[in-house]
Amino acid sequence: MPQRINSISRAGVFQDLGVLEYTEAMNLQETARREKTANRTLPDKIFFVQHPSVFTFGRNGGKENLTVSEDFLTDRGVSLVQTDRGGNITYHGPGQAVLYPVVDLELARIGVTDFVYGLEEIMGQTARDFGVSIHRDPRNHGMWKGPRKIGSVGLSIKHGISIHGLALNVSMDLTPFSWINPCGMSGLSMTSLKQELEDQGLLPDPPVAMDAVKETLITYFCQWFQFHPVREKDAAHA
Amino acid sequence: MKDINELNLPEDVKYTKDHEWAKAEGDTLTIGINDYAQDQLGEIVFVEMPAVGDSFSAEDEFGSVESVKAVSEMYMPISGEILAVNEDLEDAPEKVNEDCYQSGWIIKVKASDLSEMDALMDKAAYLEMLKG
Repeated sequence: MPQRINSISRAGVFQDLGVLEYTEAMNLQETARREKTANRTLPDKIFFVQHPSVFTFGRNGGKENLTVSEDFLTDRGVSLVQTDRGGNITYHGPGQAVLYPVVDLELARIGVTDFVYGLEEIMGQTARDFGVSIHRDPRNHGMWKGPRKIGSVGLSIKHGISIHGLALNVSMDLTPFSWINPCGMSGLSMTSLKQELEDQGLLPDPPVAMDAVKETLITYFCQWFQFHPVREKDAAHA
Repeated sequence: MKDINELNLPEDVKYTKDHEWAKAEGDTLTIGINDYAQDQLGEIVFVEMPAVGDSFSAEDEFGSVESVKAVSEMYMPISGEILAVNEDLEDAPEKVNEDCYQSGWIIKVKASDLSEMDALMDKAAYLEMLKG
């Protein structure tokens, strides 16, 4: 059974990238990883971001799980990006909370399984704080609400340092998920915190705010993985 | 994760800082990931291997292993040409977890310069690195 990570508290530099193109956020993560690989004493870096509409493919593939044509997506301004993370196809869009921890798992002695478990855990803790109880499911990693998926995890590791991370559906338009077989699973439907609250007849007032979700995710991330946050000057673009 | 003292680290192979192992017989090397790496990664579900005939320099990425939702790169211990890949892993990647030094080997390489082996670590030096 994965355990809460026990180790000394580490400095984590958190940076809010605002709304940023997927490929630009990927470049920032790769740069941070290269710098850390060259100098293992640099603090870990954790990016928070929302992406404009994009489908991304994992190492397990993805294009075969598009159920619409690429022209259909181009017409709607949705881009397609091949990535080096684990997993299959997924969708990112505004209203989804994305956390990218560039963490030296080796130095922190965090096993990959425990890291994935912890990322799932902090999505669960965050959702609970907003009134939605979510859970794991044997069908796939990530977090679920009943038969529907609400949060995903995917990582790439080089020289023991992770990039990519988690994506939690907060208030996004879920329609684009119907244009793919998410995670390569046909018939899988997705949900969001907003959708679940509405289904329960709860119209949150004020609506679920992305800033509040961000703060909650970061708080639980720090608690679970024993980080103390160091805020780098927030920047729309680095 | 296993305690460092619990790791299975044979004496008759050499280790890299990225947790591969290499064993030389003449100028042919058998290469895999070690017990630390397989334990750190968890249940391995896919191994991406190079093509026979590909050439790499020492420390180049030569393939990757996917566990749960994470893809991790593997690095060449020394320079050389791929002579064989472990095709059994296509259907049974779990062999890397079960027996990383025998049936879970990953590639065989014809070394271009065996003296590069001197830069690799023996068990004692590798353990020292792990303990930091």
